Amino acid sequence: MSNTFQAQHKFDPAAMRHYLNGELSVLHCHHYTALFTQLANDAKLLKGAQQMTEAAAETMFPPLQKYFKDNQIIDKKIRAEAASAYFAYIGLGKVQIDLEAGKAIMTHSHIDEGWKKKWGNAAKSINFIGQGFLMAAAAAIENSTPSAYNVDETESIACGKNASKFTITKK
Amino acid sequence: MAIDRQKVIDDLSKIKVCGNADGIIPAFGVLVNQLPANFWNVFSMKILKAAGDSLYDDAAGLLENAGSECGYHTGWGIINSEEFKSVVGPMIKKETALEDTLHGAFAVFTAWGWAKAEIVELIPGEKMVVRAYDYYEADVKDSFKPKKPFAYMISGVSRAFMDIAYGDKPYPDGFGKFKCKQTKAIECGDSYGEFLITK
Repeated sequence: MSNTFQAQHKFDPAAMRHYLNGELSVLHCHHYTALFTQLANDAKLLKGAQQMTEAAAETMFPPLQKYFKDNQIIDKKIRAEAASAYFAYIGLGKVQIDLEAGKAIMTHSHIDEGWKKKWGNAAKSINFIGQGFLMAAAAAIENSTPSAYNVDETESIACGKNASKFTITKK
Repeated sequence: MAIDRQKVIDDLSKIKVCGNADGIIPAFGVLVNQLPANFWNVFSMKILKAAGDSLYDDAAGLLENAGSECGYHTGWGIINSEEFKSVVGPMIKKETALEDTLHGAFAVFTAWGWAKAEIVELIPGEKMVVRAYDYYEADVKDSFKPKKPFAYMISGVSRAFMDIAYGDKPYPDGFGKFKCKQTKAIECGDSYGEFLITK
């Protein structure tokens, strides 16, 4: 899947920064991601999960939108495949997005597998970053905005399922 | 110093990673991702704004802890990786092995885009001062004026690297001996970031 993503890496030797298709990107590990996710999950008073989902949606929407534009991808099914390829390329896992059916199935997930590697099964779904990505993907595919979509995780690899399942609905 | 920092950066900044057939990047003993750097800043800003004055330090402490655990585990994976051994390994002198490894680790830290950072003072087992001339965490200054230094990732990773080198016990049981205070911050108006790591 990742082979289909057209990636251009650039390293700025003055600032020592890496860019993926023009977007500043940085490598982090599952410990970092899991601890950020735990913070979001625990900070219920601060609406931490929602904050994380919105942060993911806001920051992954522009690179997807740019990718479709730069590669002149118009067809919605091809856009959905390209979004999945981006998700895989950046190491977040393997997801199949079906906007017509309003669902996505994730058979591999950095967030869930990283969580399980660190702490074992979660009591409830914790893939807030994945939810944000799917909001961004839906919006980029349909020329809309991430906030126009609701994404719910109905089954979760972190909770012991073989795949995570999401519903995607337009508000 | 035995480490040719520029050579390490030149060699290791060329390493490109991408997801395997499952969209996963297993490397350096951990799972890696390459999210837009802005994601980490935006979430940190959102959670700190929501925390307000009463919970700000608690939330900031958890962000720093995420950096330190990342630095401890991934740092260990990095210095034991084939890439590190092949590029940095030949530069390490037996009599200054720990210090050389630390300097090499910060060259890798720089090569991977975490921060353009180097050690400017090191008293083995006691104290380290790290200076960062450019780092993505400082980019928050464009949209958020932090009252306090904001480079929690660099702070956490820096103290974790000292734990790896001089912790009371070898990895994985030597975490938490050192602490870090960010004494200068680009995001607060200084011309560079500075980090003081002590016991």
